[in-house]
Amino acid sequence: MTFQDLILKLSAFWASQGCLLQQPLDLEVGAGTSHPETLFRVLGPKPWSVAYVQPSRRPDDGRFGQNPNRLFKHHQFQVILKPSPDEVQQTYLDSLEACGINPRQHDIRFEEDNWESPTLGAWGIGWQVLLDGMEITQFTYFQQVGGMDLEPISCEITYGLERIAMFLQRVDNVFDLEWGGGVKYREVRLQEEIEQSKYAFGQVDMPQADFAALHRDLFDKTFGFAGTLLDSGLILPALEHCLKCSHLFNILDSSGSVGVTERTAYILRIRQLAVKIARAQVEATTPAADEASA
Amino acid sequence: MDRELLIEIGCEEIPASWLPGLTAQIGTHLESRLKELRLTPEAPIETFSTPRRLTARVARVSERQTDFEELVTGPPVSAAFKPDGEATPAATGFAKKYGVEVSALEKQQTPKGVYLAYRVHQRGKATVDVLADVMGGILRDMTFPKQMRWDAYLDDGKGALVFARPIRWLVLMYGGRVVPFVIRRPEIAQGPTVQDIRSGSNTYGHRFLTTSGRAGRAIKIKTFDDYKARLLENFVILERSERESRIRRELETHARKLGARVSPLVTSQSSLLAEVPDLVEYPSVVAGHFPVEFLQLPEEVLTTTMIHHQHYFPVVGDDGKLKPAFLAVTNMQPEKPEIIARNSERVLTARLRDARFFWDEDRSSPLESKIDRLSTILFHKKLGNYREKADRVSRLAAMIARDAFQQPGAVPDAEQAGRLCKADLATDMVRELTELQGTMGGIYAREDGLSETVWKAIYYHYLPVGVEADAPPTRKQLGAAAVTWAAVSLADKLDSVVGMFAVGERPTGSRDPLGLRRQAQGLVRILVDLPRLTGLETPIVLKTLVDRADTPWQSSDEIRQAIDTFLTERIHYLFEQRGFDIRAVRAVVKPGLDVDLVQVREKLEALVQLAGSEELQGVAALFKRVKNITKDVARGGDIPAGVLTEPAETALAEALVQRQATISAAVGRRDYRAAFATIGAMRPAVTTFFDDVLVMAEDAQLRAARLQLVARLRDVVLDIADISEIATGD
Repeated sequence: MTFQDLILKLSAFWASQGCLLQQPLDLEVGAGTSHPETLFRVLGPKPWSVAYVQPSRRPDDGRFGQNPNRLFKHHQFQVILKPSPDEVQQTYLDSLEACGINPRQHDIRFEEDNWESPTLGAWGIGWQVLLDGMEITQFTYFQQVGGMDLEPISCEITYGLERIAMFLQRVDNVFDLEWGGGVKYREVRLQEEIEQSKYAFGQVDMPQADFAALHRDLFDKTFGFAGTLLDSGLILPALEHCLKCSHLFNILDSSGSVGVTERTAYILRIRQLAVKIARAQVEATTPAADEASA
Repeated sequence: MDRELLIEIGCEEIPASWLPGLTAQIGTHLESRLKELRLTPEAPIETFSTPRRLTARVARVSERQTDFEELVTGPPVSAAFKPDGEATPAATGFAKKYGVEVSALEKQQTPKGVYLAYRVHQRGKATVDVLADVMGGILRDMTFPKQMRWDAYLDDGKGALVFARPIRWLVLMYGGRVVPFVIRRPEIAQGPTVQDIRSGSNTYGHRFLTTSGRAGRAIKIKTFDDYKARLLENFVILERSERESRIRRELETHARKLGARVSPLVTSQSSLLAEVPDLVEYPSVVAGHFPVEFLQLPEEVLTTTMIHHQHYFPVVGDDGKLKPAFLAVTNMQPEKPEIIARNSERVLTARLRDARFFWDEDRSSPLESKIDRLSTILFHKKLGNYREKADRVSRLAAMIARDAFQQPGAVPDAEQAGRLCKADLATDMVRELTELQGTMGGIYAREDGLSETVWKAIYYHYLPVGVEADAPPTRKQLGAAAVTWAAVSLADKLDSVVGMFAVGERPTGSRDPLGLRRQAQGLVRILVDLPRLTGLETPIVLKTLVDRADTPWQSSDEIRQAIDTFLTERIHYLFEQRGFDIRAVRAVVKPGLDVDLVQVREKLEALVQLAGSEELQGVAALFKRVKNITKDVARGGDIPAGVLTEPAETALAEALVQRQATISAAVGRRDYRAAFATIGAMRPAVTTFFDDVLVMAEDAQLRAARLQLVARLRDVVLDIADISEIATGD
């Protein structure tokens, strides 16, 4: 099964389960969780089921396209089910079967693995799903976002698409995957991996200090503007600018531009902003407002 | 008639490490709730678990609650009747409350007088009618390392029901019949896919394995025996011990086929074998191989990757060396085990390829060069980065080697090992395999050609972790590095404990996120066993080490007091863990850190041998009194000559002079058994003194002289131990 077939299969499966098919967030994010289709939809009481692919950038994992298992950017298939259905584990297993993984021939396990994002004031409880010893999915029941208890509880299923495709295609190097129609992953993404890794590690024709100063400046301006957006009641744009800050911080971090104390301070600033944004979103969509229109 | 009670809480996969605790909990909570609701188990409570279920069974529980009887006190008789014998409103009111005539009330004799009373007699309810309360109680009583909200509540008015993972089904049966019980779902979540969980007689087998029908379908059960048998038919082994022995058996068989045995590291350095039975319902083992070229990686890297990251069992040959193979415990009975084996091989190989990349990358520059990058890794926000920590550890280790150990020759190595001991935190390997911190630093130091003394000091510096006398590292493992290792290991732990206290990070209750208790125990452990670990015989006073570690912080008296208390607790803990009687520990471990822990241990070992002796007990019995009456008498006062003339007085004074010399000599040779025996030998003189002499004499001069004599006795004994703690009388 090609990489794109895998995406098609999962999309078709979850659409048949009543999920809306959304599109990726068109911003640099580290995980599908940052997408407002997750971050905002899990807040408040309104039921919501959605699935989408999210290209996810982890500057620190960039390996210049030389590591067979690690990427600056990988792809997550993200599913949010709110409220979490009683049969969610079985449905998830059915989705694997739909992709051609026969659970009777493999060893599939749900092993404890909880998720926490200090910058989002968010955490959840769950498992990593192991397929013959390989982690293929992160399965999380959200408990808090923006420091607020969630009710109802949403279930987040995050498939690692490259991992699963490598398993299905039996290749040991991610760049050997067939993306579709005989075209290899290498052809589609290698140049991007090399160049993005160089950028992430600050290998730019520019003194390191200037590189750092530029990104700090971008961070500060974006951060300040996110506050202005929030004060103007523009919650989604504020979130997007908060996510941009998060990515700029990741670049500062991967390029070795932040000291330790500074690092903690950056994380704290992002967290405070994210919590404010989440709270504003809850206030803007309180049940009262929702019910009134219903 | 007594009937069988069977409870099964069906769950999504519960974390393996929680299972043993939760299994015990369901038993204790069931017991206490049965007792509370006056139900009598006529058979032991049995508990079981798999990752997807917590089960409790009692073969026989009485069919009714025991009857309930209580005497409720009413008004005093004096206020209950008028002079003509007619009942007052107080009496009629009380009787009315219970719906009876005043004549049906009893008279109750109390210390405050005679009162009217009503005997409430309640016949026990049928067990089936009470079991829902038992079930609710158990669910409410369960506690978890991390609790989860999952949109559920009970009808008991106490709100949300938290649990380990969502509950998916519930078996609650008494005498083969279902006892109704409901776990509700709030309106906000309820819908076609989220439903109440109602107790039933259905259990569920293995998720994937089945001999007939659909895997994971409901299985109707009647009794526990039926339940257990049906589960087995559906590929669930209920007994943990059976799963474990099956795993052991298969591991052995497969290892033998590989011409190998399971690496002894699995049991000595991990809890893997204890964990796997709680990860599976129906275990079987598959064997896999990895390319032989990876055997060039350090063994530690290979075993850590296999054991900690993949839950695989490494195997060794007759020579004790790793073989390029592994065993994996699966939760399957695979038709084609080779599929799982091949996939597991690919996962492991990918990890090992990563590890080899790190290994090559890290060795492309010496360990020394990694120190700079330590300044980008935070140790603690108020204590700075790891570069700063390493510098402190280096200085402290050098001082310990020079001043405390009096081993000037070890100073350069201690300094170097201290400086390098955290450098591996900046290596790719440790960033990936954090369990290997320290170990990797040691290996890289060895690769860099540093001396055995230095690399082993780094390699083992996070140890010891356990408090047992045989916790690693051993003297043999340490070899020539023993002294240097002790200096570095002590320095690292002292720096963490003292530094964290200095900036206000103290462990409280069950919270000890920085692991300070474990670090303090390691520190205490080294000092307690210093001669055995290093061959050093120099007495080390703990306080001087803490002083040195506190040099950068200059902590307030209040903080120093807190450190004293904390370390003293850890000293108590260590000795108690080693099985010393708690009273003996209290006798020997004084408050404050002005102690040599080797001496403390030796005293304790001697005291536990003699604590039961009649002589020592005789002195101990009187020693509390000795301490009390001399509370205000300072140490070292003179006994005025010529005042004490009674025979019992002179006898005690002489005994003290003689025995004190014997005790000092014994202490000089560290023969604490002799010291305690000598204290015991003073028993006749001490007993006679207290029998014959009134210490608190009227005459002030005489009283002062007697108090001085008793104070001298006190100090001679207290210098060894506060033996009042071991007195078994009163």
